[in-house]
Amino acid sequence: MQKAIEVRHLCKSFDQLEVLKDVSLSVDEGEVVSVIGPSGSGKSTLARCICRLEPINGGEICLYGNRIDTGTHSHSDLARYVGMIFQQFNLFPHLSVLDNITLSPVKIRNMNPREAEEIAVNLLKRVGLEDKIRSWPNELSGGQRQRVAIARALAVNPKIMIFDEPTSALDPELVGEVLDVIAGLAESGMTMMIITHEMFFAREVSNRVVFMADGGIVEQGKPADILMRPQMARTRLFLQRILAHFGENLTHAPAGEATSHGA
Amino acid sequence: MALDFSAITPYLHMLLAGALITLKGSALAVVFGALLGILVGALRVLPYTPIRTLAATYIYIIRGTPLLIQLFLIYFGLPSLGINLPAFASGVIGLSINSAGYVGEIVRGGIEAVPKGQWEAAQVLGLSYFRTMRHIILPQAIRNMLPAFGNEFVTLIKESSLLSTLAISELTMVGQQVRSVTYASFETFITVGVMYLILTSVTSLILQLVEKKWRVG
Repeated sequence: MQKAIEVRHLCKSFDQLEVLKDVSLSVDEGEVVSVIGPSGSGKSTLARCICRLEPINGGEICLYGNRIDTGTHSHSDLARYVGMIFQQFNLFPHLSVLDNITLSPVKIRNMNPREAEEIAVNLLKRVGLEDKIRSWPNELSGGQRQRVAIARALAVNPKIMIFDEPTSALDPELVGEVLDVIAGLAESGMTMMIITHEMFFAREVSNRVVFMADGGIVEQGKPADILMRPQMARTRLFLQRILAHFGENLTHAPAGEATSHGA
Repeated sequence: MALDFSAITPYLHMLLAGALITLKGSALAVVFGALLGILVGALRVLPYTPIRTLAATYIYIIRGTPLLIQLFLIYFGLPSLGINLPAFASGVIGLSINSAGYVGEIVRGGIEAVPKGQWEAAQVLGLSYFRTMRHIILPQAIRNMLPAFGNEFVTLIKESSLLSTLAISELTMVGQQVRSVTYASFETFITVGVMYLILTSVTSLILQLVEKKWRVG
C-alpha cells in the first residue's frame, strides 16, 4: 500500500545547528498521527520540511510516492498533496473571510468565483462560521481565525493536512472550538499529522503518537502505549513534566472527551 | 524696511508659469520615479542573487551621490556620448532616476515588513512567488509604504528646484529672474517659497486621503 507521507533519513540544519538527525517516518492514507515532544525537538521543522517550507540537507520526502524535496514540483502541485495550518493562523488581513478561502481555488485552480463561494459557504458551515463570511480577519477571535484558516486549507482540497501547533497561540477558552473542528476532520478520514502539546487530544483523535526529542524520533506507537506506558526514559521524563504542569494524570482522564483538556 | 509686494505683482504670472513647469516636471518624475522604483524595489527582494545585487547597487549609487551631479551627468555628460537631450527631458529623467533609488528602498522595506507567515501561507495554498507578491504581499506592503511615499514626493518637488541649474524656467529659475529685474529679493523668494509650500501641502493632503481610504478598505 502506498504511503501518504514517507520521510526517509531526513537531515536538516540551520547553519551549525542540527535540527533533524536522520529522521524516518511514514504515514498511511487516512491515518491520524500526532507528534509530541519538548520545544526544540524538531517536530515543527519536520512538519515544515514535509510542506517544503524548509529546504532539507539530506534524505528524501515522498508524498503519495512523489519525491517533493527536489524542487521540481510547483507550489500549486504541492498544494494538491498537502495543506498546512499554522500556529499564528496567517490569514490574509487585507482579504475578507470569503476571499481568504476562495483566493487559491479561483487563482490557482481557475474555479469560477460562484462555485468557489459555494464551496466556501459549505466549509464555513463545517467549521461553524457561516455567519462570518463577510467579516474581516481582524474582527474575529483567535479561535475563529484558526477555524477560517482550516476552511481555507480545505478549500484547496489537499490529500493530507498538517497542523503545526494549531492551538498554541490561543487563549485557553478558545482551544476547544478549534480541537472540535480538527477532531471532526479526523473522523471524516482525512490523513493528518498534528504537532501538538494537547496530550488528551492526541490520545483521543490519533491512530498513532510519535514522540520526538533532540532532532530524532524516540518512540512511536498507539496513543495509549506512548502516553501511558512509554518504554523510553526520555519519553517518561517529558510526560512527567507535562503532567506535573497540568496537575492531572492521563490514566485518570475519562475516555471519550476529545476536547476536554487540562489547560 | 517694509515689504512691498506690489513691486513683483507685474511678474506674478511669470512665477505662476514657473510653478506650472515645476508641477509638470515633478509630476512626471513622481510617476516615472515611482514606476521605476517599484521595479527596482521588487528586483531588490527577488530570490536571485545577481539581480538583487544589481538593484542594490543602483540604490547604493543613487542614494550616495548628489542629485545635482546626476543631473549634470545627464545634461552635460551625455552629449559627449552623442546623446543630446533637451533640458526639460534631462531634468525629468534625472529626477526620475534619482527618485527611483529612494522609492526602491521604500518598496523593499515595505515588502520586508510583511510577516514571513504570509509568504508561507500563500505557498502552502499553492500560490507561486509572483502571484503571492501580487495578491498577498504588495497589497499589504503598499499600505505600509504610503507615508514614506508621501515624504518622497514632497522631497522630489523641493529638489526639482535644482532643475534651475539646467536653465529650465521652473519656479526657482523664474524667481531668480524676477529678483534680478525688481531687486525685491525678499518679496520674490517669499512668494516662491509660499508657492512651493502650496505644492507640497496639496501633495501631502492627497497622499493622506489615499492613505485613509486604503486603511478602511
